[in-house]
Amino acid sequence: MMQPKSADPMSRYRPSAELIAILAVCALFVVVPALLNNDYLLNKVARYLVLGMLAMSLSLSWGYAGILNLGQAMSFGLGSYAMAMTLKLKTVPVHTGPQGLPDFMVWNNVAQLPWFWWPFESQTFAILAGIAIPAAVAAALGWFMFRGRVTGVYVAIITLAAMVVLNLVIIDQQQYTGGFNGITDLAQLELFGIAFDAYGRSTYYLVTICMAAALLGAYAFTRTKAGLIIQAIRDHESRVRYFGYDVGAYQIVAFALSAAIAGLAGMLYTIVMEFASPTFLGVQLSLSVVVWCAVGGRQSLLGALLGAILVAGVQGALSESATFLETWTLVMGGLFVLIVLFLPKGLAGLVSSLWALIRQRPFRPFRGVHGIGQTEGGA
Amino acid sequence: MNPYLQLSNVTVSFNGFLALNDLNLDVSKGELRCLIGPNGAGKTTALDLICGKVKQSAGSIVFNDTVLDGLEEHRIARAGIGRKFQVPSVFRELTVSDNLRVACAQHPGVFSNLRPGHRQADDEAVERLAELVGLTDQLKRPAAFLSHGQTQWLEIGMLVAQNAALILMDEPTAGMTAQETRKTADLFLRLKGRHTLIVVEHDMGFVKAIGDVISVMHLGQLLAQGSACEIEANPAVRKAYLGRGGITNA
Ligand SMILES: Nc1ncnc2c1ncn2[C@@H]1O[C@H](COP(=O)(O)OP(=O)(O)O)[C@@H](O)[C@H]1O
Ligand SMILES: [Mg+2]
Repeated sequence: MMQPKSADPMSRYRPSAELIAILAVCALFVVVPALLNNDYLLNKVARYLVLGMLAMSLSLSWGYAGILNLGQAMSFGLGSYAMAMTLKLKTVPVHTGPQGLPDFMVWNNVAQLPWFWWPFESQTFAILAGIAIPAAVAAALGWFMFRGRVTGVYVAIITLAAMVVLNLVIIDQQQYTGGFNGITDLAQLELFGIAFDAYGRSTYYLVTICMAAALLGAYAFTRTKAGLIIQAIRDHESRVRYFGYDVGAYQIVAFALSAAIAGLAGMLYTIVMEFASPTFLGVQLSLSVVVWCAVGGRQSLLGALLGAILVAGVQGALSESATFLETWTLVMGGLFVLIVLFLPKGLAGLVSSLWALIRQRPFRPFRGVHGIGQTEGGA
Repeated sequence: MNPYLQLSNVTVSFNGFLALNDLNLDVSKGELRCLIGPNGAGKTTALDLICGKVKQSAGSIVFNDTVLDGLEEHRIARAGIGRKFQVPSVFRELTVSDNLRVACAQHPGVFSNLRPGHRQADDEAVERLAELVGLTDQLKRPAAFLSHGQTQWLEIGMLVAQNAALILMDEPTAGMTAQETRKTADLFLRLKGRHTLIVVEHDMGFVKAIGDVISVMHLGQLLAQGSACEIEANPAVRKAYLGRGGITNA
């Protein structure tokens, strides 16, 4: 009865093209400092890497799970503030004395450190919180949305609204959050005896390692069966239920995982930028992430990451001149429309189609012999 | 002894229109029940109700001593009920093999599916299933590229993968060639006994080939039940099909 196995059993241990591409890109960013002997530029590259990580996290929820989170920057901002709070508290003894408060609280006549700042005296807590809080917030939001079977445009509206509310609260509660100015004038992160200066190589490598870990972690998730099921949910949500899968639970997990990665990226952003600001969870950044993701290819983790680096990088290069920047916003809008219309899988989709074409060509003559209408039809 | 599946006095209302009107239906274990009836009789609605897609406004459904009333779809599926839809419903963006993998749903929990390697564990099953439904050379292609008949087969293969105790099939041979229909009949006869099946079908030849007991629905109610001969001789059934070209062309 059983036919001989069509696939060679070793093939399942062979890394996929996607994994090879991921490792190659990670390796490339590891050698960047050797090629780039300029601290200022290195800091910029690190910054784009962090934004790439943020876009990659959106790819997980939007591209894989089909959950368009327009408030992805909320998770990013939460991570960013968690890191900024602990780094701010480290400056207190220097700025305002051992029993003092963060300087902006003193200016706002706050008498006592508010309770939600207390645990951030511990850097370890802050680092864990920078990942766990965004994940928990996303899980809670996801619980309400996905248990209630909210889909499509309503998810987009709810996530965007949640972010805007948090943004307004942060701006409004200036005495506790630094308001519009954000939390500035931070101490350096110190981990395992290494100080992370924003313009140093240590910070660059920290970002690269975190980016690689997040990318590989997200990739591993997409390769599990749960990762397959979230794609099935994206494709045909109700059908998945009739196989016995609790669709809401899968969506919550994917949504929370995506938020956790965005939170990690936010923490790194604070280290690289040396401050946290309400703009980190602003509408403009959050919508830019969607564009980066679409340009790079939302159904590809690596595509989204590189799309963000590419678009944000070009924008950064042009940002020296204000006129260019305005034109750029237009260009970006136009690019987004074109990509959505003609390249629904973004640049990553384009590359993989080209790659498939190149690989297929030599085999064409053989296929023709015994495969007409079987292997070629319908494509 | 209680029947394996029992629908008691169920009513489904769509804005006041009663798609099912006080329907009673019993199916025993291991049976292959054919469900026929003119268009709009409520056959699809009956299957929708069993698998939780629609909810009844009155009546109760018991399957294998479990009351299904008000259970969420995935809970009903986990209780052992699988469903094939009238419009073939597969994951069009996923490859044929990934479609079959998703259908291997013996461990539906999200955390048990986060372990690495779990996906590969289904590989052998996937190859066996693809062979069963004749899609071995399509495994790596997206399901969107399949023909209508192949899509029907894929969904049937997915139901075999799911291995549900009770399988609900809504017009499984629609769009199939005569030869494909024969293959489907063979497959159903093999599933019979190990699984309980309810098959909605229009093709009387197919129904006669596979069915033991045939239930006829009309206007949301059970009109008649019995063997193919009994059904064809039943005057009420003839009347229901009147003006529709007779029962064979229903
Ligand atoms: N979602 C719905 N909303 C309103 N009416 C519906 C809906 N689904 C089915 N109906 C109606 O219920 C009746 C039974 O439909 P259905 O169960 O699909 O019949 P069958 O499968 O026997 O052809 C039809 O008259 C149909 O128009
Ligand atoms: Mg129908």
